[in-house]
Amino acid sequence: MARDPLAGKLPVTVITGFLGSGKTTLLKHLLTHPGMDRAALVINELGEVGIDHDLLQVSSEQMTLLSNGCLCCTVRTDLQETLRELFAQRRAGAVIDFDRVFVETTGLADPAPVLQTLATDTLLSDYYRLDCVATLVDAVNGMTQLDTQPEAVKQAAVADRLLLTKTDLAAPDAVEALQARLRALNPHALFIIATHGQVDPALLTDVGLRNARPDAARLARWLGETGEGGGYLGQRLAPGVKHDPAIKSFALVFDRPFAWETFSAALDLVSRLRGPDLLRVKGLVNIAGERGPVVVQAVQHIFHPTVTLEAWPSDDRRSRLVFITRNIPRETVEQLFAAVGALNA
Amino acid sequence: MTKLAAPGPAARPEQTLAWNMTLLAHHELAGFGGLGEGMAMQQTRDGRRILWLAHESAPKNFTGVDVTDPRNPKVVVQTDLPHAKMRSNSLDVVGDVMAVAYQTSGVNIQPAGFDLFDVSVPESPKRISHFDASGPHSRGVHAVWFVDGETVHLAGGAADFEPTNPKDDQFYRIVDVRKPSQPEEVGRWWYPGTRKGDDAPPPKRLPPQFDMGYRAHNTNVFPQRPDRAYVGYIDGGAWVLDISDRSRPKPVASWQYSPPFNGFTHTVLPLFSRDLLIVSDECVLDDGADWPKLVWVLDNRVETNPVPIGTFPAPPYDAFAKRGGRFGAHNLHENLPVPTSWRSDSIIVGTFFNAGVRAYDVSDPFQVKEVAYFVPGAPKLSPVGAIQLNDCFVDDRGLVFTVDRFVGGLYILEMNV
Repeated sequence: MARDPLAGKLPVTVITGFLGSGKTTLLKHLLTHPGMDRAALVINELGEVGIDHDLLQVSSEQMTLLSNGCLCCTVRTDLQETLRELFAQRRAGAVIDFDRVFVETTGLADPAPVLQTLATDTLLSDYYRLDCVATLVDAVNGMTQLDTQPEAVKQAAVADRLLLTKTDLAAPDAVEALQARLRALNPHALFIIATHGQVDPALLTDVGLRNARPDAARLARWLGETGEGGGYLGQRLAPGVKHDPAIKSFALVFDRPFAWETFSAALDLVSRLRGPDLLRVKGLVNIAGERGPVVVQAVQHIFHPTVTLEAWPSDDRRSRLVFITRNIPRETVEQLFAAVGALNA
Repeated sequence: MTKLAAPGPAARPEQTLAWNMTLLAHHELAGFGGLGEGMAMQQTRDGRRILWLAHESAPKNFTGVDVTDPRNPKVVVQTDLPHAKMRSNSLDVVGDVMAVAYQTSGVNIQPAGFDLFDVSVPESPKRISHFDASGPHSRGVHAVWFVDGETVHLAGGAADFEPTNPKDDQFYRIVDVRKPSQPEEVGRWWYPGTRKGDDAPPPKRLPPQFDMGYRAHNTNVFPQRPDRAYVGYIDGGAWVLDISDRSRPKPVASWQYSPPFNGFTHTVLPLFSRDLLIVSDECVLDDGADWPKLVWVLDNRVETNPVPIGTFPAPPYDAFAKRGGRFGAHNLHENLPVPTSWRSDSIIVGTFFNAGVRAYDVSDPFQVKEVAYFVPGAPKLSPVGAIQLNDCFVDDRGLVFTVDRFVGGLYILEMNV
């Protein structure tokens, strides 16, 4: 028996959002939520969040164990170092046996560097796996940010969970319009209304694939095929909804298995030429000769190492790929795969 | 990064540490929770799984635990030794026959050797025969390897064997048990120079604090290479013997790394599909006094020249060395060629005394990775104040069974690797 490439790695949830989107409020809430027992929360600055002394169990310069069992840790040099050290401390029994990690993005809150770190640092990837990207969108300013800040669009596009904050401060129709726009931008994400940061942390974890033996339901959920994204809203894009014409979200289905060379060459090509516009790719691919589907995940040019699942969960063995792109139409990607396939035939 | 102010939330030895191993059940075995290094699983004719455990010391001999439901283990039998100057320590089961080793605290004490039992009714084991290995210079049998129903390979002394140094009394013996009522020795091998009358001079001793003897410990033979015995020879290092003629075992290769290391080679585990040998030491001194005790990876592509290429990443010294009791490598799950045993050439599970039970991924032999661990909190009444996991067995369901050396009994774990 060999090791499962996904099992046994601590899931990491990345929390991102624009300045003012309510991250600090959310973090404060998480620090007291009973559902954060045995979670590690990596934040940028403790002072900003402000921890009530009544909640402290044990504290040091950099780590604080809170009364709800959550280990709060501040980033010292960089995230890599922090996560590595955090695991070393866990292994030595110097901190609690945390079983999941929440990471706040830094600076401009671009999640891509954090995702890159998790995808490419081989030491870290022995212990951690990216599980969920949770993006906060402020209901008051979100629409303007989406209009003026390409970064805001990207953050929404890469999210598994879209947390709408300050909905109590915005007009109901503005909230609806924002939701509709986000839905068009990223139909696969689950919407969560997070007034005053009130979110059940369970909704922000256990999103990705936990092992290479997922059942059909989990795979479908992971691919966004179950309509989970419509959980809160459940509505389709209505006429007149403001949308982002540059952002394309589409799913491709391929009936025939790929040769690995064809598939990787096509994806490599689009990533090299248009990496920054490849906001998010995920899917299950039928590669000839593999025992199960190959899991593909990418954010922009950052591709996670591919993983072959143990078996197909159902008779449907078609390759399914979900894309969110900027100015790359569906037809272009379809034709690219066809052309590379033809060249490699 | 600074450590949390002492004591950290989990730095205490009573605190459990776990990664990718989940405790399903813990059984204190009726207050006799001190177990040796004999663990074997029987599949009974009525469909039960009985885990047989050898005790570390008297008064108990062995215990049978029904682990059919791993969340609800039940003791079905627990037996006593005839007297307190002996221990069983090691056992193996093939079908309904169990071999149990007997070692005595001094020479010339009986019984010393091994017993064969019929355990077809696990609740009432019946002794079939006794193989006598007692003698004026023998402390009997320390470890048995019995996986084919025909041969017991063992580390033990003999009535006719006078060692050059009393610590070197146990050597490799091959005993034919095809007639279970009449076990018969068919071959033996000892480290040259350890028997009086040998042409070779006695081997040079390790420094006194590490001098544990030139004697055999684990003597493993697998069906993939029935003509090879893989022998940990304690202070004599790792040995591979050609046993194609069982009456005259011949060395194929040996690897001695002490000094500079501190001796006590315990297990030599071949990974046949990988051309690797995994060699484990045994820690035998408390408080890190014989640190480092390691698990080694050897390139065995040329079997006459095994080359060390790495070690398993050891549990952190700072966290464990002074936690209480022994700290370092000991038993590995040995891919037993029996239906109830898990077999893997890429994941190795072993026990490390106070650093618990740990699983390692050796798929890249140059860069072995730890993938799981479980360190139980100190058991109640622990004489050293920390867990001392002594042995482990992984069954064909992938469940990990591991035992404490003193009082903790049996821990049953599920792995997520």
